[in-house]
Amino acid sequence: MSLAGSLMLGLLLAWGLGGTVWLLTTRRYRVTQVPRFAMDLLGFPVELAQRLFGRGGVPYALLLPNMLIFGLFTFAPMILNFYVSFTGGSSIILFERPWVGLSKYVDIFACESYLVPKTCSNAGYNFFTGLYNTLWFVGIQVPIMCAVALITALVVNRDIKGRGFWRAMFFYPVMLSPVVIANIWNWVLHRKGVLNAGLDEMTGALNALAGLSGFDMVMTVLLAIVLMVVTERALRAGAEPSTAWTALFALILALLTAWANPLSLLDLSGSLWLGLALGAGLVWLVAAGHRSARIAIMVAAALAALMLLSIQFSTVFDMGRYRPNNWLVTPNTGWPFFWLVFVFCWSHMGFYMLILLAGLQAIPRDLYEAAKMDATRPLRAFTRITLPLVMPTLTVVIVLSLIRSFQIFDEVYLLTGGGPGRETYMIVQNIYEVAFTNSQPDYGQAAAGSVLMAVIIAVFTFFQLWLTRRQSEL
Amino acid sequence: MTDLPHALELRDIRKAFGAVKVIHGIDLEIEEGEFVVFVGPSGCGKSTLLRLIAGLDDPTSGDIELQGKRVNTVPASERGLSMVFQSYALYPHMSVRANLSFGLENLNMPRAEITRRVDDAAKLLQIDQLLDRRPGQLSGGQRQRVAIGRAIVREPIIFLFDEPLSNLDAELRLQMRVEISNLHAQLGNTMIYVTHDQVEAMTMADRIVVLRGGRIEQQGRPLDLYNHPANRFVAGFIGAPQMNFLAGRLEGRTLRLDCGLTREVPVAVPGKGEAVSLGIRPEAIGVSLDGQGDEVVTVRNYEQLGAITYIYAAFANGETLTVQQAAQIPLERGQRIGVRFHTETFHIFGPDERALEMQS
Amino acid sequence: MSRLATFLTRTAGTPDRAERFGVTDLLAYGYLLFGVLIVLVPVAWTFFSSIKPERAVDNFDTRLLPYAQIEAEIEGQGPKPLWVHTDENGDEVLVFKAGPTRRETEVARPEAPDAVFTVPRSSLAPHETISVAVENYLDPLLKRNGQENFHFFTYLYNSVFVTVVATLITLLINAMAGFALSKYRFRGRLTFTILIVATLLIPASIILVSLFFVVWSFGIFGSLWGVIIPAAATPTGVFLLRQYMLTIPDELLEAARMDAASEWRIFWRIIIPLSLPALSVLAILSVIWRWNDFLWPLIVLISDPRQHTLQLGLTQFAGEFNTDFHYILAMTVVTLLPITLVFVWLQRFITTGIATTGLK
Repeated sequence: MSLAGSLMLGLLLAWGLGGTVWLLTTRRYRVTQVPRFAMDLLGFPVELAQRLFGRGGVPYALLLPNMLIFGLFTFAPMILNFYVSFTGGSSIILFERPWVGLSKYVDIFACESYLVPKTCSNAGYNFFTGLYNTLWFVGIQVPIMCAVALITALVVNRDIKGRGFWRAMFFYPVMLSPVVIANIWNWVLHRKGVLNAGLDEMTGALNALAGLSGFDMVMTVLLAIVLMVVTERALRAGAEPSTAWTALFALILALLTAWANPLSLLDLSGSLWLGLALGAGLVWLVAAGHRSARIAIMVAAALAALMLLSIQFSTVFDMGRYRPNNWLVTPNTGWPFFWLVFVFCWSHMGFYMLILLAGLQAIPRDLYEAAKMDATRPLRAFTRITLPLVMPTLTVVIVLSLIRSFQIFDEVYLLTGGGPGRETYMIVQNIYEVAFTNSQPDYGQAAAGSVLMAVIIAVFTFFQLWLTRRQSEL
Repeated sequence: MTDLPHALELRDIRKAFGAVKVIHGIDLEIEEGEFVVFVGPSGCGKSTLLRLIAGLDDPTSGDIELQGKRVNTVPASERGLSMVFQSYALYPHMSVRANLSFGLENLNMPRAEITRRVDDAAKLLQIDQLLDRRPGQLSGGQRQRVAIGRAIVREPIIFLFDEPLSNLDAELRLQMRVEISNLHAQLGNTMIYVTHDQVEAMTMADRIVVLRGGRIEQQGRPLDLYNHPANRFVAGFIGAPQMNFLAGRLEGRTLRLDCGLTREVPVAVPGKGEAVSLGIRPEAIGVSLDGQGDEVVTVRNYEQLGAITYIYAAFANGETLTVQQAAQIPLERGQRIGVRFHTETFHIFGPDERALEMQS
Repeated sequence: MSRLATFLTRTAGTPDRAERFGVTDLLAYGYLLFGVLIVLVPVAWTFFSSIKPERAVDNFDTRLLPYAQIEAEIEGQGPKPLWVHTDENGDEVLVFKAGPTRRETEVARPEAPDAVFTVPRSSLAPHETISVAVENYLDPLLKRNGQENFHFFTYLYNSVFVTVVATLITLLINAMAGFALSKYRFRGRLTFTILIVATLLIPASIILVSLFFVVWSFGIFGSLWGVIIPAAATPTGVFLLRQYMLTIPDELLEAARMDAASEWRIFWRIIIPLSLPALSVLAILSVIWRWNDFLWPLIVLISDPRQHTLQLGLTQFAGEFNTDFHYILAMTVVTLLPITLVFVWLQRFITTGIATTGLK
């Protein structure tokens, strides 16, 4: 038995026996009071502290177990990390580890160019690959997830039916373990999995549809009618155009722009982005209540009608033969990374949505009623009431999700294992593999990596807090 | 008397929270069986003093003796006192019976004894049919009774009440006031009662202790305080509506008020022209509607309560005067009426706000 | 007609206040439905796949229901899968394949296994029936059919042990710390609070390596205690409970002190029952954390299969047999089932609890 083990045993004995003796000598218990005796025994150190030092000693006794565990298993390792990072060898016994100074750090930073991990030493290559992948991941995943969580919270916060049901459904993935999540998505994303099969069937159906004679005409007429109705609706609602209908109109406009592909006349690609930008601009104009909103919608409607006539739907919807994608394995496609972001959002979004929802529900209803009396437009109510008041909660969510996604390991390890190649190799996996899966575990190297990661996380967090502090001062 | 220990004795009690001094040296003796009320405006230290007696806070200096034994270091639970809190502090997750017996269980009392005491107290307070309910299911008055019951079962040396009626509505407050007085008569225990309401103090107390700013301003039987206030603060605090104060000067034994009135007053020590104020209770002023009297005032406002009429009037120099008449009087705003003063009802307060002694 | 439309698109309220089902509602419900599909479809698909027979899983049968090909006992050839052969006249006849599958496949009728004839492959369709493949679940659980490597009940015991013990310890010591920080004034309170905030900002994965050293030197590496103890003190829990306990009135504690309750008994009899809402939220959080924990158990417990938790066991199982999808899927469902049932049972409580108590 180790030293610590015997120490613990001694402590338990002192607690149990000493407590029993002390309690039985100072208090009387009846036979029916055994549970009460058990509770008194559990709290024996606290009782003793009160007897010895009065009420002033009690809080320290109450804090002791918690702080002991924090001290031993959080603060001590934090400091020990620095020490370990200055030692070499693969021994587990601290005193047998030779002091190597800064060499573990030097190994990591032995690069010709820090931006190109390939020019680094082996350790540096792994570290910087992991770091850049992680930074990419955080940079993409955190904004997306926070945006999705906020949107979902806003929608669930509306006066809708079955709010509890929706809320529970979005929260459900949070309850699932990473292993289960990985198995589920591995199965769905398998080359012969249901996603590929579904996409295959969909393209098949679209191809068949596009092959029908008269498809072009039917599609054009159908879309023309939809366009007319939506435009009319958007312009009809009162003096100012309706935001919701405009949003629908903008969506159709974006699709039409993508299909008509006007940029191909200039030999440029990216018509979809142009369409999305046009749509977003339109929605903004209307939501902000700009004077030229009506005219903008009419111009856009004319534009849309023109484009509609130019589209040959049979070619747009002819997708060709679908090739099943090996989502998690094919290198240089970006798909493994995409699915990682997707699955991570899928499994964590519900938690942040709940926190944001609580923040939204804390906003007093009468503020919105007052805004309604002042004829405030919905978007303005959102930017001037909702957003500022939910900002503190949003900050908490951003900081929490930042720290969380920096530490991503389980999902990557189980879904892609860092592959293909090193495309999804994250920093925690680097630390884990260096320390625990190598035949020659290099704890020093892993500790050095941990220290650097801690520094980066700290910088991020404080930058974030500083930014929001400044914002709230402005 | 002297060989019997006091139920409670405080000697030069001081209390400071950090740099803020709350109690500035209080000496007080309370006898066995007395009903003592601490009264004063909010922030006067009356609740702090009660908590020091209870043992919930420790005094910064000074001694607390219970029945002749110094208890400064004795924890609250072992002083043998019990307390009724302003919010009642009933344990919301326990039934009424568990609330009453919790303290006795902590003392390891035999089960039979606990049951007996709880049932007795419940019967006394007429809450015996509520014993299985939770505090949340009780009305305000019932909660109040349970809180008192919890104090009774401990059979304490002294009952401590911390503004126990302030959460009740007016009608219930009146009723509970009477009940607590009856309880005192029945049990005969020493009780210390803290309130900011001078009516409660006047109606319930054997002895009132008026506190201000952490000091005792005056203590004594209720009517003594009413009739012979030691200073202007006590005079203004005790009695409703408040005593009228009129500014003036004392030259020899002649009181010259700013409103014009001049009177010979039987002060023990003649004045030298110093500024004094005359205190006179609203009910000690006579009224004549025909404008005859010592002074003429203008009616600013009045309240007819049926049996009583309050008149709010002003002198020509702007000083205001409240008059209480035990009759229904036909009045109009702006009406000029005569008022009469009686020298024997005068309270004269010197420049230091202390009451001037009168010749006997 | 328009009244009918109003009636059909009414969302809430009385007839006079009925609002039309606007396009915003449409967008909102569309969004929610889409989101819920994304959440549910993968899980549901996994479940439906897990009850499919091995052959259907291996062939990536994307039909929703579990179809199994019917087999028949052929004289002298053992069990053979049956096919439906449709000839030119549209008549259907049951056959089995008597030779390898080619464009022109040799088949025979089960009644006459020797009368082999040739048909085009395209005219053959599997003769199927719906059958739930219970063996996907029972084989690993009961260690039949060579599935001896998934010690489900060991893993379940380990997971339940870690989850329950760690949650109990977490609740106890976090509640104690929360109580101390919320209800006592003492030297160093701010320091302790700041220290706990600091641990909130130290993510577990950056102290992985040195925590391994600490746990190893305590001799709990490789045992379940090595997973339980380091994670028992959670800053989130301390804060959650502290914030909640701040709302418990101090007068209750003082009443208990007057009732001669020791501080520990106040904690146990007053604070714990009154903090139950916050405690249950923390309990749920802790159960989720511990049950789903992966990286740290992977480091501490991986070397000893008898100490694996359900998560580790499932990972190992999926790693070893990454072709036996039918077993992996079934065991995945078994692993997600307990927490799903808990969620379905307590979902309203969990979501509202976390939303209202958590992280303010």
